[in-house]
Amino acid sequence: MAVSISNSMFRPTNSTLKLLVKWVVALLVPVVVFNVWGGESILNAVLSPGTVSLGISIDIGTLIQAAIFIIVFYFVVTLLAGYLVAADSGRRSILEVWIDVLIFVMVPLILVILLGLIIGIALCAIVWPVYFYIRNAVRKAIHYTPPPPLASLKTLNDEQRIVLKNRAVAGAFWYATILALILLVIDIIYFATGSLNTTLFIGAIGRTIILPIAGFLLGQVSAWIALRRTLSAKESSNGRGENGTPRVSKRRRLEVLSATRAREEVKDLVPNDLPLRSTGAQRFFLTLLVVFVLFYPVIDPFLFGYGTNGRLAGYGDAGYYVILALGLNIVVGFAGLLDLGYVAFFAIGSYAWGMIGSPQFSFLTGIPVNLSLLPWFFWPMILGAALIAAFFGVLLGAPTLRLRGDYLAIVTLGFGEIVPIVFLEMDKYTNGTNGLIGVASPAFPGVNWSVVTPAPYYYLILALIAFSIFANVRMRDSRLGRAWVAIREDEIAASSSGVNLVNTKLFAFAAGAFFAGVAGAYHSAKLGGVSPDNFGFGDSVIYLAMVVIGGIGSIPGVIVGALAVYAINQFILAQLDTLAADPTSFVYPIHNAIVHVIPSFTFGNIRNLIFGVILIVVMIFRPEGLIPSARRRRELHQGNDEEVEVGSLDVPPGAPGFEAEVHVE
Amino acid sequence: MNLNLVLQELVVGLATGSIYALIALGYTMVYGIIELINFAHGDIFMIGTLVAITIFNLFGVSTNTVLSGGTLIFVMFVACLGAMVACAVLGVAIELVAYRPLRNAPRLAPLISAIGMSLILEDVGKLWKGISFIAFPQVVAQVNYNIGPVTITNINILVIAVSVVLMLALQWMITSTRMGRAMRSVAQDREAAALMGVNVDFVITFTFFVGAGLAGAAGFIYGLQYGSTVFYIGFQLGLIAFTAAVLGGIGNIVGAMLGGVLIGIIESMSTLIPDSSQGGFGLPHGGTAWANAIIFAILILILVFRPSGLLGQQTPEKV
Amino acid sequence: MSVELESKEIGEPLLDLSGATKRFGGLVAVADVDLQIWPREIISVIGPNGAGKTTLFNLITGIYRPTSGDIRFAGKSTVGLNPNEIVKRGITRTFQNIRLFNNMTVMENVLVGQHTQLKANVLGSLFHVPSVVHEEAEARKRAIELLGFFGSTLIERQEEYVINLSYADRRRVEIARALGAKPKLLLLDEPTAGMNEVETLEAVKYVRRLRDELGVTILLIEHKLAVTMGMSDRIAVLDYGRKIAEGLPEEVRRDERVIAAYLGKAATADQAAE
Repeated sequence: MAVSISNSMFRPTNSTLKLLVKWVVALLVPVVVFNVWGGESILNAVLSPGTVSLGISIDIGTLIQAAIFIIVFYFVVTLLAGYLVAADSGRRSILEVWIDVLIFVMVPLILVILLGLIIGIALCAIVWPVYFYIRNAVRKAIHYTPPPPLASLKTLNDEQRIVLKNRAVAGAFWYATILALILLVIDIIYFATGSLNTTLFIGAIGRTIILPIAGFLLGQVSAWIALRRTLSAKESSNGRGENGTPRVSKRRRLEVLSATRAREEVKDLVPNDLPLRSTGAQRFFLTLLVVFVLFYPVIDPFLFGYGTNGRLAGYGDAGYYVILALGLNIVVGFAGLLDLGYVAFFAIGSYAWGMIGSPQFSFLTGIPVNLSLLPWFFWPMILGAALIAAFFGVLLGAPTLRLRGDYLAIVTLGFGEIVPIVFLEMDKYTNGTNGLIGVASPAFPGVNWSVVTPAPYYYLILALIAFSIFANVRMRDSRLGRAWVAIREDEIAASSSGVNLVNTKLFAFAAGAFFAGVAGAYHSAKLGGVSPDNFGFGDSVIYLAMVVIGGIGSIPGVIVGALAVYAINQFILAQLDTLAADPTSFVYPIHNAIVHVIPSFTFGNIRNLIFGVILIVVMIFRPEGLIPSARRRRELHQGNDEEVEVGSLDVPPGAPGFEAEVHVE
Repeated sequence: MNLNLVLQELVVGLATGSIYALIALGYTMVYGIIELINFAHGDIFMIGTLVAITIFNLFGVSTNTVLSGGTLIFVMFVACLGAMVACAVLGVAIELVAYRPLRNAPRLAPLISAIGMSLILEDVGKLWKGISFIAFPQVVAQVNYNIGPVTITNINILVIAVSVVLMLALQWMITSTRMGRAMRSVAQDREAAALMGVNVDFVITFTFFVGAGLAGAAGFIYGLQYGSTVFYIGFQLGLIAFTAAVLGGIGNIVGAMLGGVLIGIIESMSTLIPDSSQGGFGLPHGGTAWANAIIFAILILILVFRPSGLLGQQTPEKV
Repeated sequence: MSVELESKEIGEPLLDLSGATKRFGGLVAVADVDLQIWPREIISVIGPNGAGKTTLFNLITGIYRPTSGDIRFAGKSTVGLNPNEIVKRGITRTFQNIRLFNNMTVMENVLVGQHTQLKANVLGSLFHVPSVVHEEAEARKRAIELLGFFGSTLIERQEEYVINLSYADRRRVEIARALGAKPKLLLLDEPTAGMNEVETLEAVKYVRRLRDELGVTILLIEHKLAVTMGMSDRIAVLDYGRKIAEGLPEEVRRDERVIAAYLGKAATADQAAE
């Protein structure tokens, strides 16, 4: 065994060599760039804390987190290298992969380095569609046809499995080794020019030894991961199951699929034509993302310099947008109900905590409460606010959910207008236009929640987002989720299959309201207050825009949509206005030229214009959004010769008014 | 409750209601013909107010100029007509750009597109005339007529008159002209109309033209009545006018007129509700603060209990 | 599915329509129809186009509400119930124009059919409570069984979107979906529409097997007279919303009113053409 491994590892076959070059280079470039940017300094901080001069306090906790981050980061990328080399079927060219990596990894990375996280990623939202457009035009011009998706479907025999394993090990090993060497060279240069002290240099040498060994070991793990996703012999044979029902092999089930469907299923398998898009690779990317997001407060200073606290506070705000988008996604995306008054539930959640978690509580109930106890109520009240919001969701939905889609939209719009008015005018309870102040932050032993330390809020919102995503995924893939899709597809058929239309829709409504309540409680706690001006129709539109732009019904889509919309709304336009006042920026002359013609122009003023244009463009050209769910993309691009779409009905089947409306064949 | 106050508010309500009715007509016509709630319609109305102001300014008329006689009539006529034409063209442009490409898309797509268009128009208004209230030239010298306990101004009369004339003209067109017949047929059954040789696309575009034109006229008389405008009145009044259309029966022209007047009266009557924060019956801060909430509550109640409105017909869906 | 009867005169009818009438404004689509169906029967409803057959189905399944008259299933009235409640009572159907959930897979369609048989609620689904996980696994197994009723083709294609299936396969999936709710009575609206001879024969076979093997009572609308004659225990004939004849296939075939109804249409058409 040892002989064959070392043989293939140090003298790889031609095909393996090609794969190695392809993937090792593809992964090395971004990682080296990342290292030079900031990754190196994180490592240096861990090894030699005294050298850090970023004006931040480095305590043990931070060091440990930074260390974990660096280790996990390096190791995951190494695993990825091994996996990619093993999983690639070798049919797509090197150039394709390198261009993909360039556009989807290098470009964002460089934009983020130069312009900051939010603007960098927002610009990607422009670059990528342009790239797609160009690529499709080029493909059409050269009459490119992608190879049939199942052509690389193979059941691997034992010999092929060993080849796969060796490839994985070789990939991880060579990647780690070359990376270690490059970094060593860089460090030698630094050392020679005196920028590196001895401790760090010793650390560098240690790294150069550890990485290749780690690569070898991690390669075994990569191999295991890749092999799990191959078709085993057992899965390739038919047979008889229990009760004599024919049992069909997984392979056969894949073979009989149509091309579109096959393309979706094939993503799970190894060997794969597009390993970067395979499910296995996606797991790695997700892990990297989670690690990055989790340790962000610690590594931010190394990557972006001063101003960590400001950025963290901003992300804490962006976070509740994400929860709102996920909640609205249940209503609009899963169940297909257009809710134009979603801000009402957000307001209800905010006021729920606002009235209980502040001096207003004593004022309302007459019960004197020690103000320092209030923060502890936050935890039960997050649930409480969510349930209260859900209750109002049921209250609104029960009479109105049987209405036709556009009527329902207007009803929700009306509700979204009424609720802030109620909060404004019932000032005996809500303190009207002055709003509530002194709303308590949450309490957690040992943690200081204040404006100066935004990190706790950051972690809190991460936890809430994680829960929201979890809940969304579980609901989508359950009996309830299926019922929602069925209702969207054909209400009459759904009802005739046993789905209770009103209750199922009501549930979506309540669930959506629930998450808005969660976001609301967080919002008023973070802000320390609530006021009716925070809630208007414009906000409901923004939440809708997040879902529509990101991808209706798609969980990753609406998250990205939320961040993109937040970026535009709170950030980019404000930044542009700040730059416009600065005579040295490139924005200054542009701004002046426009103001000449249109005196009331500011970038803030065209916010709605931009959103409006984006909404229309998305609806006409890409209704499934930025990151669509596969199902929606199919739904929206079906031929127009389908029968009349049965949207929701004015009156449900069985009620007296129904048959005047609908003639069922 | 003081009867005089009630009567006075009735008069005010009639005037406001006529404005709502004109706007509501646009909503109801478009919904009747393509089953789309044209979110941008209220903002077309707002643009109409701005166009009217611009035309006045072109004539050298500013906020406090008072005209009389032939000049007055001429300038007003041009301003009103100008607002109507500009809005009509705008309405057509919106249909071509934002709605027609989505004719065959699932129903929610054009609705979202309409919301987008509404947002765009609001910012256009903002960019054009700024974010604060803009004064509307009060070219007509106000004359009060006291009929018993009630005071009605010549402007009120003018507003009601313009509305009535336009509504009658519309009603005549719908019932007596070929185009009107074509519009009614497309509203009933688009495919059958097409099979009968009706140019459906043109009829739909024409509907937008007329509806938006009426909104332009509404913009003109709104400015005369209230003396000022701002970029966000489109949204506010649009929603109120839509409630009126629904109240009267969406798709029904007479219903829109009726609903508009009713809503106008309800709105003005609600200002009579006393302020309960002084103690006693009423609503906190009085009915005026709650006017919008009351109207939207009515909207919800109608849609829940009687979606076809007062005069409406159900449009059957063949499945 | 548990009632086994030898003679159809014993016990209560499974489905009992008395005076079922449906008016749409001035039009009477179904007029005063009496019909009784006993368990394990295969009953056909035939009649010229526009006779009100599908409207009758819609009345039974709760999509329309009868203007007057009563519909009783297993002894209890179903008038005023929503379609999903009627599914729970034990009646499911297929549609003339096949109404599958186009953007769902075969497996997903059949799983939706089992909606009333599953008890998972949100909290259970959220936390993958063992009973819910088990229930889902069982549901999938059952779905495969139901698909297997038609052979192994559909089991093979269980991950395919139904929109990509052949017409005959889609019919079968629709039936499998309808079976998911463990119905006692299955309404099939023109199950052999659009099929050629071979496919029709196959369909007849599996309809019989539905009754013989699964014990489901079948009520079907069928235009192909040869099919109905061969397959049905009894036939009811509708014309202009009225039941004009009922009985054994041979009786109905020779019934003068039935012949007149079908030929009458042809005769008037001929006259109009002249």
